[in-house]
Amino acid sequence: MILLQSASRFLLQILQNRLISSEKSVDLDCHSVEFDDVRYHIQFSVKSPQVMLLSISLPIPPPETVFVNGLPLGAIEAVKAAYGELVQILDPPKDGYNLTMKLNFTKLPQDEEQRKAILVKVASVREVVLGAPLRMILHHLASRTTFPNMGQLIALVHRPKESFFLIPQVEKVTVIFPMRFRDSVDIVLATSFLQEFVESRRAAALSNAPLCTWSPTPPQELKGAPPDAVAANAGFVTFVIYPRHADVRKLDKTAWSLSTFHAYVNYHVKCSEGFMHTRMRRRVETLIQALDRAKPEMERTKKLAQGNSFKRLSLKDGRGNSIS
Amino acid sequence: MDAASRPAVVIDNGTGYTKMGFSGNVEPCFIVPTVVAVNESFLNQSRSSNKANWLAQYSAGVMADLDFFIGEEALSRSRSSSTYSLSYPIHEGQVENWDTMERFWQQCIFNYLRCDPEDHYFLLTESPLTAPESREYTGEIMFETFNVPGLYIAVQPVLALAAGYTTSKCEMTGVVVDVGDGATHVVPVAEGYVIGNSIKSIPISGKDVTLFIQKLMKERGENLPPEDSFEVARKVKEMYSYTCSDIVKEFNKYDKEPNKYIKQWTGIKPKTGAPYSCDIGYERFLGPEIFFNPEIYSSEFTTPLPDVIDKCIQSAPIDTRRALYKNIVLSGGSTMSKDFHRRLQRDLKKIVDARIVASEARHGGEVKSHPIEVNVVSHPIQRFAVWFGGSVLASTPEFYGACHTKAEYEEHGASICRTNPVFKGMY
Repeated sequence: MILLQSASRFLLQILQNRLISSEKSVDLDCHSVEFDDVRYHIQFSVKSPQVMLLSISLPIPPPETVFVNGLPLGAIEAVKAAYGELVQILDPPKDGYNLTMKLNFTKLPQDEEQRKAILVKVASVREVVLGAPLRMILHHLASRTTFPNMGQLIALVHRPKESFFLIPQVEKVTVIFPMRFRDSVDIVLATSFLQEFVESRRAAALSNAPLCTWSPTPPQELKGAPPDAVAANAGFVTFVIYPRHADVRKLDKTAWSLSTFHAYVNYHVKCSEGFMHTRMRRRVETLIQALDRAKPEMERTKKLAQGNSFKRLSLKDGRGNSIS
Repeated sequence: MDAASRPAVVIDNGTGYTKMGFSGNVEPCFIVPTVVAVNESFLNQSRSSNKANWLAQYSAGVMADLDFFIGEEALSRSRSSSTYSLSYPIHEGQVENWDTMERFWQQCIFNYLRCDPEDHYFLLTESPLTAPESREYTGEIMFETFNVPGLYIAVQPVLALAAGYTTSKCEMTGVVVDVGDGATHVVPVAEGYVIGNSIKSIPISGKDVTLFIQKLMKERGENLPPEDSFEVARKVKEMYSYTCSDIVKEFNKYDKEPNKYIKQWTGIKPKTGAPYSCDIGYERFLGPEIFFNPEIYSSEFTTPLPDVIDKCIQSAPIDTRRALYKNIVLSGGSTMSKDFHRRLQRDLKKIVDARIVASEARHGGEVKSHPIEVNVVSHPIQRFAVWFGGSVLASTPEFYGACHTKAEYEEHGASICRTNPVFKGMY
């Protein structure tokens, strides 16, 4: 898996079990949390097995972003557009959540393929809600229409109390991510990962990909932003999106990739850490083998015969040994 | 917002299946086979590479750390192409291959649960016989690779007991009969503490049931594709097997009314794509029977499971024995076959009653002893009882205090995972 999928696997699994393989209906009430602190609360009841109550809570927005009634700009319209007559938005939402929807699956189309497509769409609810403002801007870009805030800095939430920035213009949209990591090792790995990332953009095969730069200091465009929002410890990544990246076919993919860019980097940093551990483990094994070969024959047989190679570890020894 | 306000991630890695989900839920989010399909071809190539196609191999090598699958996807990938080789990281309840285990966790967290490991406390499980070193290793991977804020490594049987915690009473004394896919343990627990030296384990587990079913079907000459027969046997076990009360009667029943009892299995041969069908007969009840009459399966180990449980309780401290007989808890997928608990209870009761009669006879009928209550508890969530126990445990507020935290790890190193609170006094 290289890219994160837009549909929540858990949500999709529940929907498929419920609605396609028609599992016996029991009450279902479960919670799930995804990266960037998006929480789901899923409820099915026996009385109406075709109706799902889905509540979703979003990351806490930083002060510079625009939220209307606890939701990003245009989220309600996006939900209505995506699910049509399936959805009924409950107002006010459940306590502790930003949005509660009642989805009625009695009106699902009969065709298997269409059914699946709709379920995947429902499972991607996060993309629909959180990505709404971003999609709106990209949409304007694709149709090259102007709107009031043209050329000004727009902040969109993507992680709890963190935002990324957009500067929409008629011909292009500049997207800037301040990258923050908590762990010192992660910061180092992420920094080199991002440099490599920018580097690989230069390969011939990727000449159509959005322009991408990395800088350790805030770029010029971020001058107007509040200083808290532009403090980052792993540099800044800038993408320049052109209308060709935002046409109808690519719009969803572009919006998803942009809004989960941090999660993507985080995932790859963890992967490379895991890969390094694998290599380190192999190295240690070969070194131990080399050491074993170097032992004189006498010592080896003696050890075996006496069989007292077991050394009881005291608590102190244990600590000393295990760190290495 | 700190990690303690979010639900903890509970992952129970079993030999056969891994159960994972968030605490506070009743069911795990996912139950997937513990298997990883890895593409090792890159690693071997890069050693003997020449400089000419270095770049191609470099980029292939960059992708190699992501080119693997877990769970059902792994099984289907390895079937459809030969570039992936299957690796089962856990063998008989112990982690054998840490590389693939790390990858497995990575996919569990990022692809299945899709959570950020830095945001959640983690609860992992281990078998009661896990060495402290491997617990350290687990801690190292969790803290170093995934940067988890806190980790708790629980002992599976204790969690299985804790699974019954919510229903009526908080009984933390009992014997846990954990029959998993790779290991079978009988673990006495008193007041939440494992009685370490009374743990009995037997070399017959769920996998052996599958192997036995496979053997029976092969010997009868059923029309099964050899490359698929293990998987078919596993499905037969999961779908049709049950425990009978008397083998002889059961054989008679089958012979009299074959239509009623003999089931059909149909499938498609993976190589040729041709459909086939075969009968499922005696193996339906003979499979689980190997726990009660192991001599039909192996000649090395012939002690039936009820005897092992009885011995285990008899070796426990005398003041706990009555309580242990009263609460025998089943856990693990292989105890799911129908009427397993009834048969176990009946056989165990027989042994206990025989002992009482014998002891009364020894005393010449002067002393009457209280009858001993034998109770085998079975509940519908047996298959993931350990996971459920973990979910219950991790949703209590005390859980966050009992975790090993990242700060402790950085201060003392992986040795903090050595000690386990439920084993206190053992080391």
